[in-house]
Amino acid sequence: MTTTAGPHQHASADDPRVMLDDQIGAFEPIPPYPPRTEREAEFYTLGDGEMFLNMGPQHPSTHGVLRVVLKLDGEKVVDLDPVLGYLHRGVEKLCENADYHQVISQVDPLEYISSLFCEWSPVMAFEKLLDVEVPRRAEYIRVLSGELNRIASHALFMGWFALDLGGLTPILWSFIERDEIVEMLAALTGQRMLFNYFRIGGVNGDLNHDFMSRLGDWMSRATGQIESNLTLLNENEIFVRRARGLGVIDTETALSMCMSGPNLRATGSPFDVRRAHPYSIYPELDFDIPTRSEGDSLARYLLRMEEIKQSLRIIDQCLHQMPDSPIMAKLPRLLRPRPGRAYAAIEGPRGQYATYAISDGTDQPFRMRIHDPSFIHLQSVGLLMKNNLIADTMAVMASLDPVMGGVDK
Amino acid sequence: MSLVPGLGLVRGMALTLRRFFEPKATIRYPEVQADIPPKFRGRLQLLYDEYGTLKCETCFQCAQACPIECIDMGGMDTKGRFHVHWGAAETYGERREESALRRSGRTVPDPAYDHFEGVDVGPVDDILETFDHDPAHLLPILEATQAHYGYLPVGALKRISQVTGTWYAQIYGTASFYGHLRFEPPTVTAQATAISERRPDEAAFLASLGASLTGRPGGDA
Amino acid sequence: MTALSRTWGRLTLPGKIVFTLIPLLAVLTAGLIAFIIVLGGPIWDLILANLWFIRFLVAATIILVITIPIAFLNIYLEMKVIALMNLRVGPDRVGPWGSLLSVVHGLKVLIKEDFTPTGADSIVFTWAPVVTYGAAVMTLLVIPFAPGMAGQDFNIGLLYFFAVGGMGVVGLLMGGWSSFNKYSLLGGLRSAAQIISYEIPLTLSVVGLLILAGTMSLNQIVMQQSGWFTDWYVFRQPLGFVIFFIAATAEANRTPFDLTEADSEIVAGFATEYSGMRFGFFFFAEYVNVFIMSALTVVLFLGGWNAPFDIDALVNVLNGVVGAVIPSFHIATPFSIALDPGSLGIPLLFVIGLAPLIGTLVLAAPFYLVRSSMRWWVALIIGFVLFNVVAGGLTFAWAYVSFDWVAGLVWFMAKTFAFVFLFVWMRGTLPRVRIDQLMGFAWKWLLPAALLNLFVTAAAVVIVGS
Repeated sequence: MTTTAGPHQHASADDPRVMLDDQIGAFEPIPPYPPRTEREAEFYTLGDGEMFLNMGPQHPSTHGVLRVVLKLDGEKVVDLDPVLGYLHRGVEKLCENADYHQVISQVDPLEYISSLFCEWSPVMAFEKLLDVEVPRRAEYIRVLSGELNRIASHALFMGWFALDLGGLTPILWSFIERDEIVEMLAALTGQRMLFNYFRIGGVNGDLNHDFMSRLGDWMSRATGQIESNLTLLNENEIFVRRARGLGVIDTETALSMCMSGPNLRATGSPFDVRRAHPYSIYPELDFDIPTRSEGDSLARYLLRMEEIKQSLRIIDQCLHQMPDSPIMAKLPRLLRPRPGRAYAAIEGPRGQYATYAISDGTDQPFRMRIHDPSFIHLQSVGLLMKNNLIADTMAVMASLDPVMGGVDK
Repeated sequence: MSLVPGLGLVRGMALTLRRFFEPKATIRYPEVQADIPPKFRGRLQLLYDEYGTLKCETCFQCAQACPIECIDMGGMDTKGRFHVHWGAAETYGERREESALRRSGRTVPDPAYDHFEGVDVGPVDDILETFDHDPAHLLPILEATQAHYGYLPVGALKRISQVTGTWYAQIYGTASFYGHLRFEPPTVTAQATAISERRPDEAAFLASLGASLTGRPGGDA
Repeated sequence: MTALSRTWGRLTLPGKIVFTLIPLLAVLTAGLIAFIIVLGGPIWDLILANLWFIRFLVAATIILVITIPIAFLNIYLEMKVIALMNLRVGPDRVGPWGSLLSVVHGLKVLIKEDFTPTGADSIVFTWAPVVTYGAAVMTLLVIPFAPGMAGQDFNIGLLYFFAVGGMGVVGLLMGGWSSFNKYSLLGGLRSAAQIISYEIPLTLSVVGLLILAGTMSLNQIVMQQSGWFTDWYVFRQPLGFVIFFIAATAEANRTPFDLTEADSEIVAGFATEYSGMRFGFFFFAEYVNVFIMSALTVVLFLGGWNAPFDIDALVNVLNGVVGAVIPSFHIATPFSIALDPGSLGIPLLFVIGLAPLIGTLVLAAPFYLVRSSMRWWVALIIGFVLFNVVAGGLTFAWAYVSFDWVAGLVWFMAKTFAFVFLFVWMRGTLPRVRIDQLMGFAWKWLLPAALLNLFVTAAAVVIVGS
């Protein structure tokens, strides 16, 4: 039914009086162009009793601006299609137009939950290009602050995961934990979120009294507090029943999907860059690589909680072994590495975070490629989520712990 | 999970009830302010002294250090040289674009620089030619430029920056470091004379004042 | 004429209004008096003839009006309690301890834009909140708050409650279907599936209790639980109580069964497209439902308005123990304070006039005497406040002892809000179950358990009763 519109007026679809049957389809998440690939044609063809549901990019729990088009049969997810790119800023190209020092502040907001790891891998790659040896104290400070950031990231993961399963309280408790760590890192680096702290050949500032007193204060009660927070979820029947057996993946599939980090270790493979390809001072430190064999969401959750305890061990050792030395290597102000290429990988809280940098002898990297684990993990979402319910879509996605800043780069 | 069904739920409930009575983490902002660490970077701001004038010395160090080139300079400062142009946040992008343009070597239309533009930059190109456009010879280039113009005009410095690819901030920093390089034309005394010519009474008054103070007519008081 | 107009001209605006209204009021009053004199008798007869209907109208109006403060209180309780459990402070700006924030929320939803999306079925969309809220208010009608304080005392009260309470889901389904939004549709379908499934164990869990009570009137059920707290049905029907509580949680759409508005899955469920006061009605209905479910749990299983102890029995015990020592000691039961204010006569005026003064002075004196640094007026203020507390407490105690309904209301509200707190507490602690787990739990566990409870109760009644 159309209203009688004047000769120069169009019936607007936003006009509540207008019901245009042929325009109702405009609200479906089907792209306006004909399908470009076979997969697209298959996905956008509805079977009997199926419907599309457009989740995101403005959905309460898509962890940023991820958009997922779900094909539903009732409550069951038949198929799904993640749509990326809502946060794309072209960071790699920005880095190629900035000089080596400026790259550090450009890559900071990639994984905004754990920015130090975003800085760490490019800085390590540039140090390899320049053939610099980082002072030992700087390495210790890097490991110390990095592990703190890992705890902050994993603590936040616990809250988000619980929130996606419907719990209101854990997110606020974990934000309290994270806030303490982040305030501590602000005392060390000068910022709460985008630290801009690592420098090529060292770190920006030495440990100061403010940081050390906050750290000591927190370390004295961190274990007890985190344990206490965990009792809310770890034994909760509703939580365990929902997370167990959800999004199961085995080691072969995980490896073929290029997974790394806790998501891979939850399937039983003990791959950790800190042990497999040791860097910094990790060979000297004593810590375990926790693994679990189930490969489901609960395993991924419990593994991360286990890693928090290992990170606390590492921090403790760092504090006891902290050597005395300068925190910056002697470097010229303008860096012009010799032409060459370097690759540096580190173990971030989400997995292997790597940078591949090519230098052409100028003061800017010729090419910089960032390997982000969130992006890699998001590509296996479809594999994990087939034939689950809508309620589990967000839970599986949360258990993979992607950060959209890193996915879209 | 425990053997008794529901025990985990009950323990969770007990934990939340215990937290119910524990001290809270909220900072009630207007009454209580957060404990900000001394190293906190916070927001960039220009400082003013007690007379309300800018403390900025136009040393260009901040502009040189800024990794994403959001700091830029233009206009007039307290010494009549430059004004640090530090726009609101929404102008950062524009100025950043401008700065990138300037680094790229193309001319940048900036009304703040119009006042300084009136020099012929042809001689600068010749000087740069002799020094092979190499920014390593920045000091000899600047000395030769001053030898030609008598001072360092802004237009000439910008030309050097554009052609050699050196940051303007770096050229300015180099030039302001050495005492024998100057930015004003050496006509300051001539201007002073001109002022005294416009005000003969004042000159006569100063002369008589000096004479009465020192006993020497026209003495420098 | 000129004098009158001059006087009129000198009046201020309020004066003009008052001077216009006074004759109008006088005429109206005279007319009303004449009306009552002439037609009062027949009207009074009509009222007396239809007393039950007038009473119903008054009760329904009062019930409709008190749902709003109940909803406000529940919303505030939820905000504050969950905040405190989250280690936050929660609302603390509007009113004392932020207690007026829910009122501000109410005003906020009133002034927000009331929006109907394109493609929505606007009639159904508009009526959905009304149906939901209406069902909530109508179920509140049969809840006995105190002895003699029930909107309507049906002899099929419980049946009425379940029948009308089930109507709330119609509103949710209407809202979900008419919103032209897939999230809303999913939410509406979920609520239909969930509430219809949990309706069955909810109803079956009470059947055992009904066999014991032998009546469906909620008032009768409460009266049968009078005496000590061991007479409450929760001790005779523990399994039924547990099933009823779980099913009531699902009926009220509360965590862990709040799938209809699971914000991390289907944005806000049936309420996704609602805004303004239409959303406000859904919101209020949810919190009124929490209150109603708590109230029904209290009425059925926890003795309703009965105190947990039998005051007459206590007094008898006291009489027995003390009377053994002092033979003349005896307190009459039923316990009451024989205080008839009218018997005091004229001295009552002196009591009313002088008691505050004397009380203030008496209570202020110790503070002034003990602390030499205290100013006299500070002591007086403290004395006045203390006197108010003491007088208020005494008045309350007198009302509690003298009037059944005060005592009943106090106990009923205390128990009900303890249950509201429990609902909020669960919301602050538990995650949400999945839809298949929810349905499986209802059909595989709750329904057999409810049937078991019914059979065991019936068998026990047959064996013990015969």
